[in-house]
Amino acid sequence: MATQTNTQTSLLPQGVGRLTTTWKLAMAGSFLLFAVGVFAFVRELSTGMIETGMRNVGTMGGASWGLYITMVVYFIGVSFAGITIAALIRLFNLRHLRPIARFAELLTVVALILGALAIIVDLGQPLRGVVNLFRYARPQSPFFGTFSLVIAGYLVASLIYLYLGGRRDAAIMAHYPSRLQRFHRWWAAGYRDTPEERDRHRQTSFWLAVTIIPLLVIAHSTLGFVFGLQVGRPGWYGTLQAPAFVALAGVSGIGAIIIVGAVVRRIVHDKSRIDLDVFAALGKFLLAFLLVYLYFMSVELLTLLYATPEVEKQLSDALLLGEYAWIYWGSVALLVIPGLGLLWQAFKRRWNVGWLVAFGIAVNLAAIGKRYLIVVPSQTHGTLLPYEVGSYSPSWVEYGVVLGLLGLGALMIGTFVKVFPPIPLREDEEVMVDA
Amino acid sequence: MAKYAMVVDLNRCQGCRACTEACKIENNTGQSMFWMHVFRFEDGEFPDTRMSFLPRPCQHCDNAPCVKVCPTGARFKREDGLVLTDPDRCIGCRYCELACPYGVNYFNWQTPEASQYSDVIDWDDPDIQSATGGLSPPYRNPDLDEEWGPEGRRTAGGNHDKGVMEKCTFCVQRVEQGNLPACVDTCPVTALRFGDISDADSPVSQFIRENETWHLLEEAGTEPSVFYVGGKPPSHSYKEVERPKARV
Amino acid sequence: MRKTITLGMVVGGIVLMLIGYLAAAPWGADTVANSDPSFGFAPALFVLGVIVAFSAALVYELMPDRPER
Repeated sequence: MATQTNTQTSLLPQGVGRLTTTWKLAMAGSFLLFAVGVFAFVRELSTGMIETGMRNVGTMGGASWGLYITMVVYFIGVSFAGITIAALIRLFNLRHLRPIARFAELLTVVALILGALAIIVDLGQPLRGVVNLFRYARPQSPFFGTFSLVIAGYLVASLIYLYLGGRRDAAIMAHYPSRLQRFHRWWAAGYRDTPEERDRHRQTSFWLAVTIIPLLVIAHSTLGFVFGLQVGRPGWYGTLQAPAFVALAGVSGIGAIIIVGAVVRRIVHDKSRIDLDVFAALGKFLLAFLLVYLYFMSVELLTLLYATPEVEKQLSDALLLGEYAWIYWGSVALLVIPGLGLLWQAFKRRWNVGWLVAFGIAVNLAAIGKRYLIVVPSQTHGTLLPYEVGSYSPSWVEYGVVLGLLGLGALMIGTFVKVFPPIPLREDEEVMVDA
Repeated sequence: MAKYAMVVDLNRCQGCRACTEACKIENNTGQSMFWMHVFRFEDGEFPDTRMSFLPRPCQHCDNAPCVKVCPTGARFKREDGLVLTDPDRCIGCRYCELACPYGVNYFNWQTPEASQYSDVIDWDDPDIQSATGGLSPPYRNPDLDEEWGPEGRRTAGGNHDKGVMEKCTFCVQRVEQGNLPACVDTCPVTALRFGDISDADSPVSQFIRENETWHLLEEAGTEPSVFYVGGKPPSHSYKEVERPKARV
Repeated sequence: MRKTITLGMVVGGIVLMLIGYLAAAPWGADTVANSDPSFGFAPALFVLGVIVAFSAALVYELMPDRPER
């Protein structure tokens, strides 16, 4: 029996435990990125944030929030879709979407961790920040919601969701001896797949879904409030920020799920579980969120073009015609073109995974661009007092840290898919073992 | 309970920047941090241009957006009207800086030593030491290490630590000892006045009564404690000429 | 038994959240005043409450039912 262990590990479903060369290369590359990030962050910690490209607003003519906060908002936005999809699947019993539930939840967990880390690297006193937030955080500050509901509440809820949803598969995997057997046994926690247990799981899934959805709408709205309540920042202050945040979060999140779904399909060498119908559904979700967001963007653009208060004129000129115009119109293009492409696919009822992945990448790039445009121009071109305009460009340290975060995310996802099946096992799917 | 306010007389300010310098020396602020900043504006089209100066300290708003958004309460408002920063509690998130409509906040991007030009001046050089008496910066205000106010926090002065925020404090360390803020004290033409406006007979209250006053960015709803006399609110047709070469 | 504990955790979690939130919120003073939480780490209590409430799901699923007497 013992000599058969390796053979049996290699027969676990979906490539779990099987470390292919491609996987090793990908992990090595991700680790390299992560190392770059650590190096950059250590530099920032020791010398101070002067190593970044950020500078004070006003007399220093800089932007005090830059690439880091852009990525905070982006990551938290991506996390929105994962758990929403998973929750909707349970609530409305969308059985054909079940295969994507687990890695959608995984994406949420990873994105939230990266979002939390991105906040920490942006603090001038990171260690003190972690302690003082738990000690003194004030609900009057819009930041309170981000810290407590988003990072703490939402992350915990998603982890619990992920854990409970995986118990059945863990129990199946735990039957067979492999290096991961103890881990699978721990995860399964004695699951026996009796009707009663399945019933319990159905109930907890339902209630978790019901409570998570309002939690994350509130959480994303408070993130929008961080910007939307600042009367002193033209371009930020506005009632549309909170809903627009939620809409763009949906766009980037579903785009990310499409990308991860395509990658997972490749890893498990099985295109039948996440078939074209699943991608079609994702495509339709993406189209829906995209249309809502494009509607918000059009309203904002038309309002700006029709009448701009004097204080916002400088800002809107920079956005539409000036130095930020390439990011603005580039992001618009990266949203509109996928939107048209999705409409085409929807009309023709002919969905294509390759194009969907391309659209997913495009809308995520657009989301990063739009988040950047929310954060930075209001600082360089949006001072209420007539300071000279400022400028900001990220330094190598900022790029390095962001790459490090992305590398860490890849490492987390890559590790997960090799210790646990990313796609829920079929009812009849068992591990194949020599008799 | 006193309620402090400042009055800036734009009919008198001639842009000498003595106030900016005095503030720097009193509060030991670092490179490129201008707690008191004097704008030089130009408006109109050549040859019909007009030049004006506008001192801009922290406005110590009664409805301060910076206080509202601080996640840890490091930025707080006292009963006597002063809005102060606790550098021991600040986590450096810079949210106050983004929330402030006036742009008065400064973040310590560098270590305190680097901020005092230690990368360009060798403070240990014997020639320099003989002039500075071994101190860096040459005059280091001992009041900045003390705790101030009933809340007992180390709120005076700047350059305390890297990664924390700072801004004009109305010279809390001077006010609590019965003196005027450094800028007010130094101004050679009495363009700056300071005092207790809860006392109807104080000189500053009388001055406010006798003159027409306005506030900067009144429409932002921040209820500032700084009154302006003379001149007019700067619009966006004003251009800031003469920005300090102030990027670290 | 299991259902009691689950319900207890949800209610307890919500209570912790309320205590933590109300302790951290600005009482009496307007939002602008010097407002420390009523006791240190009150926000941590809020977060703990959220975690406890959601962990009730773990209890509901994992805890074995003892036969009712």
